[in-house]
Amino acid sequence: MADTDSVITIGNVLRADIRGFVVASRIPEPDVPTFGTFVRAAIQQQRADLIGLVYNITLQDDPFLKNLAVTVIEDDPRYAEIIRDQQENRAVPVEIAVAAIGYRDEDGYHYGLPPQPPMILHRITVCSKDEVRHITAAPDFMRALFDNRDVPADELIPTALQRAARLRPEALRAEFFLDAGRYLAQYLGRDPVRLERILRRLM
Amino acid sequence: MLHIERLKTDIEALSRLAVERQTLREDDVARALRWLAEAPEPATLRERLAPVTSGDHDWPGALPAADAPLAARFTVDGDPPHGTVVIGVDGSQVYPDPHAAVLYYLIQIGGLAFSYDGSRPRPYSCEALHFKDEEVYDAQGYPISNERVGMERLVQEMAYLAELTTIEHSLAPAAPLLALTDGPLLWPYVERSRSDSQAIEAYLDALTEIRQAGGLLVGYVARPGGRALVELLWAAQLAPEDVPGRLAENPLRRLTDAALMAHFLAPGERSAWFTRPSATNHRHAGRGHAVWFCYVNVGAVRAPVIARVEAPEWGAQNADVITTLHAVLLHQSQVLNGYPYVLARAHEEALVTTADKAALDGEIQRHLFAQGILVRPSEKAQQKAILGKR
Repeated sequence: MADTDSVITIGNVLRADIRGFVVASRIPEPDVPTFGTFVRAAIQQQRADLIGLVYNITLQDDPFLKNLAVTVIEDDPRYAEIIRDQQENRAVPVEIAVAAIGYRDEDGYHYGLPPQPPMILHRITVCSKDEVRHITAAPDFMRALFDNRDVPADELIPTALQRAARLRPEALRAEFFLDAGRYLAQYLGRDPVRLERILRRLM
Repeated sequence: MLHIERLKTDIEALSRLAVERQTLREDDVARALRWLAEAPEPATLRERLAPVTSGDHDWPGALPAADAPLAARFTVDGDPPHGTVVIGVDGSQVYPDPHAAVLYYLIQIGGLAFSYDGSRPRPYSCEALHFKDEEVYDAQGYPISNERVGMERLVQEMAYLAELTTIEHSLAPAAPLLALTDGPLLWPYVERSRSDSQAIEAYLDALTEIRQAGGLLVGYVARPGGRALVELLWAAQLAPEDVPGRLAENPLRRLTDAALMAHFLAPGERSAWFTRPSATNHRHAGRGHAVWFCYVNVGAVRAPVIARVEAPEWGAQNADVITTLHAVLLHQSQVLNGYPYVLARAHEEALVTTADKAALDGEIQRHLFAQGILVRPSEKAQQKAILGKR
């Protein structure tokens, strides 16, 4: 059964290559996705969706805020409404970097790099819980991250695994982590220090 | 590509001219300040200028609107009263482009309602895509002008301000309610056609709606360029028999009201109220919305920032509400270095960025393509887009 969680569109693709893309976004602070969020973007004339993980969030220069910073004092009641407006309403200009982990087309989910990056200005959307469960059904979703040198994979992989585990019934979580651990051991067998670092972050 | 090195001589000449103008302006300001101090009583001036203030004359000067002396200066103490609500509204547009893939225009209006009670301000926005033949082509079959889009935007801005005033009044019926728009209140377009007349009537209807909803309508003009007060001061220097004969001989031709006020008003002060005896203002008056204006210095010592504040006569005569407005403008402008916060945020809510426009064009083209229609910008537009990316 598909879940009915709300889907948040977070922005448009600013630049992209086959390993990932950067999204320019102006959304209120509570909606800014966090490190390790699963997102998707249409590729191949919307016949498929690239699935990726947020691995960096950069606050862009904001001249509006710069002007306020010299006049507004945080605890002064004269500025209470302005501070609430800035924190709760105002769109925060951010750049969100996403690493590709796979894609989905009419045949189902595929792991590894997609056949094409998303086109500039295509919209990026946070994946639904159902989509996250599907893409993380097999530990192969981690494969593209190991080979992507731009990505802090050793931090990103544990975060993504914990996120995916929380979407599964409690009784299945141990098995999910065990599967992932076996995959990591196989992939990083020649680098036990790195393997240990990732596994420790999972604990 | 611009060859700045070839403009070096011109840039030097421009700088020299700016210095000369500065010196001349200082002399002009000193003279105008003297005229301001010597000006006769408002009633005397109104009587003297009666021959040119009926609305048939095109004299560009102002009249004193109330009984305060021309050289009156008003101050306000303290913060805005608790609970006061200020709404700011601004608009932006995408003009119709005959070189684009599809002919359309877009108007987006943004607003912010700000209550002085510690609550979270309420952002608002609305947008409308205009693409029907009767919207994008004029009676002769040509794409409509940018001026026509500007007219439409002004009407929509004021209608939206009226709508927000009604909403906010229903949320806090007893609170003082100020409805700010960015720019002058006087309808700025020449009436050339039936649709122009319909537009000004719709605009004046919105003004009535704001009044009925209990809001004080305010037009905020940043860095105003007019010189209506300077013309009045010259008229005040003339003997009664020289009006209207010598009105056009004002020697202070380069001096603006703002430059004069920057030397006259201390930070936080506002001037007396004035009004324009123009045909457009007579038209506003016919619907009960004659526009008055004053100047306010929202800047600091040695850094004056002069704004022209416009309000309908029915609001400007309410001393309590004007005192509240004065306090609100000082607070709002102090936060953002001389420009009201609500208007800056309204602008931000309304803004259609280049990226927004590109995304909208892409979405339209994708939908048309899905319907089997292939559209593309003209070759000229495509080439300009490539060069524009440099």
